[in-house]
Amino acid sequence: MPVTSTKPYVGIPRDHVTNFCGKQIVFVCWDQHLLFAAPMMLVVEPTMLLKELFDQVWKPLLQADPDSAALKWDQGQWLKSNQPWTPNLEASIAANGIGHKEQLRLKTPGLDTLWAAV
Amino acid sequence: MDVKVTKKKLSLKDRYKLLTRDLGWQTTYQPMDKVYPYVTFEGIKIHDWEKWEDPFRLTVDAYWKYQAEKERKLYAIIDAHAQNNGHLNITDASYLTALKLFLQAISPGEYAASKGFARAGREFGGIGTQVACQMQALDEIRHAQTQIHAISNYNKFYNGFHAFADQRDRIWYNTVPRSFFDDAMSAGPFEFLIAISFSFEYVLTNLLFVPFMSGAAYNGDMSTVTFGFSAQSDEARHMTLGLESIKFILEQDPANVPIVQKWIDKWFARGMRLLSLVATMMDYMLPKRVMSWREAWNIYGVENGSALFTDLARYGIGLPKHWDDVEKSIDHISHQVQMALYQWSFGTSFHSWIPSDEDMAWLSAKYPETFDKYYRPRWENIKKLKAAGTPYANFGLPKLCQVCQLPCLFTEPDDPTSHCQRETEYKGEKYHFCSDGCQHVFENEPEKYVQAWLPMPGLFQEPLKGDIGAWMQWVGLNPGKDTGDYDGSEDQLNFAAWRTQATRNE
Amino acid sequence: MAIELRTVTIKPRRQAYDHLVRRFGDKPASRYQEASYDIQAAENLHYKPTWDPGQDLYDTKITKIIMQDWYALKDPRQFYYNTYTLTRARQQETAEANFNFVESRGLADMLPDALRDVALNVLVPLRHAAWGANQSNTFICGYGYGTTLTQACMYHAMDNLGIAQYLSRLGLLLGDIDALNAGKEAWLNGAAWQPLRRYVEDCLVLRDPIELFVAQNLALDGLLYPLVYECIVDRHLSAKGGSAVAMLCQFMNDWFDETRKWVDAVLKTAASESEHNRDTLAQWARHWIDRAIAAVSPIVEQALGADTGKVVQEYVAALHARIQKNGIPL
Repeated sequence: MPVTSTKPYVGIPRDHVTNFCGKQIVFVCWDQHLLFAAPMMLVVEPTMLLKELFDQVWKPLLQADPDSAALKWDQGQWLKSNQPWTPNLEASIAANGIGHKEQLRLKTPGLDTLWAAV
Repeated sequence: MDVKVTKKKLSLKDRYKLLTRDLGWQTTYQPMDKVYPYVTFEGIKIHDWEKWEDPFRLTVDAYWKYQAEKERKLYAIIDAHAQNNGHLNITDASYLTALKLFLQAISPGEYAASKGFARAGREFGGIGTQVACQMQALDEIRHAQTQIHAISNYNKFYNGFHAFADQRDRIWYNTVPRSFFDDAMSAGPFEFLIAISFSFEYVLTNLLFVPFMSGAAYNGDMSTVTFGFSAQSDEARHMTLGLESIKFILEQDPANVPIVQKWIDKWFARGMRLLSLVATMMDYMLPKRVMSWREAWNIYGVENGSALFTDLARYGIGLPKHWDDVEKSIDHISHQVQMALYQWSFGTSFHSWIPSDEDMAWLSAKYPETFDKYYRPRWENIKKLKAAGTPYANFGLPKLCQVCQLPCLFTEPDDPTSHCQRETEYKGEKYHFCSDGCQHVFENEPEKYVQAWLPMPGLFQEPLKGDIGAWMQWVGLNPGKDTGDYDGSEDQLNFAAWRTQATRNE
Repeated sequence: MAIELRTVTIKPRRQAYDHLVRRFGDKPASRYQEASYDIQAAENLHYKPTWDPGQDLYDTKITKIIMQDWYALKDPRQFYYNTYTLTRARQQETAEANFNFVESRGLADMLPDALRDVALNVLVPLRHAAWGANQSNTFICGYGYGTTLTQACMYHAMDNLGIAQYLSRLGLLLGDIDALNAGKEAWLNGAAWQPLRRYVEDCLVLRDPIELFVAQNLALDGLLYPLVYECIVDRHLSAKGGSAVAMLCQFMNDWFDETRKWVDAVLKTAASESEHNRDTLAQWARHWIDRAIAAVSPIVEQALGADTGKVVQEYVAALHARIQKNGIPL
């Protein structure tokens, strides 16, 4: 819907990819692992290999969860922008079609230590 | 002529009318739409400004008189509090987290409201409305100033207060209230009034002020209690203005109803997100608790809110959209927010802490359906990590909601095990939201919200380019002093030492 | 709380909030400084206003005046909410006592008809001009930049409204509701009042906050208040036995003496910032004073008749001198 205003109203997005000095944002979420209060924002170069993104950038951030040692990137269900998706770990972020501010979600049934009480 | 005989006795109402709205006139040298250029574009139709009922008939001289009396009393107490080390009367220094948050997040909001009401006090086409707004503009600057003054003495002794002016514009969690008030001020005068006077002051203020001020009272903070009570009589006027405004607007034209309903939906959604910080304060930050967020919501949200919306039903106004989602979230949000604040406390200008066993027993009693089931296991894990010498900090920076600007930390209304994540694409750019409520706000005015300054992505742009050390300096944080766990903090140690000094027998 | 605290001296760990230390050095800040400096949002403004997408939410560019630091426009009275309300509360006590005095002793009824007519004719329509002034100062508060200036404008706006209300009460006391109606009729249609009403209405559409400050607070009120309250009320009417009217107008006289110091300080600081500012202010002052002379003269004439031209010239000269003293060449 257009903004109700006295004159034409056009907003300039502040987080356009060109503002990130050659990098882009990838949002990642390990579903149901709510020890991590929110999905994470990773800011990386699009040429980075997906496995580097996961192993070297994301994984170290997940140590506090007792299940993190058992986490395998190829075991579980992925969503990319809420659509089922299969990652190619050997390819780059760009080659995986992961755009700026794309949300990746990983669901790992069975890894649910902190849900023991549920 | 004999003046005495001809004098007519004026009713208070008529006299007030002569002293306010009779001052105005229909301009002829300049067209009215140039004099009040912003009064029509929102689509609100006002046929007769005369129908505005002055919610309180306060002349300026009476205003000066009453307010000065209140000011005299207030500052006497603030002075005494400073002179007598009143800060040592608080339960313990962990209480100050609530006060730090108040100064950084709420006081700047009071100032923004003052500015917004000055604009509204100029832009409305009816003098009754203008004068009411102008007086509120004055009251709001009063609140901002008395808060800064009352808290000033705490700043002299404790960390976390000193950079509030920088943090208002720069630190991540403060963009939640900042964007809220920027949003209201960038709206037209009618939406501003519905946002601040009605949605915020009338519907939600009790959920903010009552918990904060009773929290201060329970925890021995007399200077905050005093400014709170002193402000409350102003708030009573503001709430009356809120109710009068909405009734006036709705009665003027049926075409106003859907516009107002849309604003109520929006500002309720935004307001409830803002209040999640208050919920957290009530459940986690007060050493001595007043009531739980759930209990407060039941009284001020469910009971008062339902009564209000039943009353407004005759105009065709219904409960705010997403009311049910909010209801479902009540038993969750404080736990979710506190866990977030704790894990990112390396980047907050206040301390957080792990709830003690006693705290957890209280939380479990107040939230029997949710705390033990969902949140205790996580806290226990966090406790374990701390005991093992590897205290938990989440160095993964959060995805923020494009609208409310909180991290997307809330769960699905019907599934407390999954983060609620919504996204949309607009003009080729992706945007993310924490809830359906925030997504709807975005979709109604995308050109507005694409502009949002989100502090997390902002950190990775020029000039900071992801440099956390430079960011700390930029937001005025002294790592380890202003930030982190309360346990072992300077505030904790100093307070204990000073209190011992002040209570020890010679 | 049941804790007994002994009096102990604890050394403060810091003296003041960071932003005040940066401005004023590492020492305790005054309440005025705490209440005034840097409390307006300055950075990372989120959204463009829907009411004018060409502006920022807080925008220094909507005036021609350029300040490196808008907070330099400080108030020599150091008014923040507390000192402002306390000061006005004392003044309103005096004003109230004056109204009571005049009323209880029936002084209004003792006024000679001719004097009463002059008082009513000159003063009562001015309540509408005071409302206009309220609109101007509310505008400057709303859209001006920096709390040191804008809070003082909000206080000024309230004063303007207060004066409009005192003038209304004066009208009611000296002449009942009919006097207010007659005054409004004169304001709307009386020939003598049209130049002033046009002036006020032109101010209502002026949206450069500092030009409006000049037009309202310097040019118009700088001429109107001395001419009406000092010259007509205090000198002319009092000399003829109308000191009751002077009592009812004491607030306005005291108020003008106090507030002109603030107006002067603001303009002096703005003018000393740059040649550009000085020239701009001078140009505005010339333009609006010329118009103010034309707007005010027919009103003064109702009291002073043939002397008007001479007297107005005297007061214009005084105003010019005042402005030049502030570093604004005319």
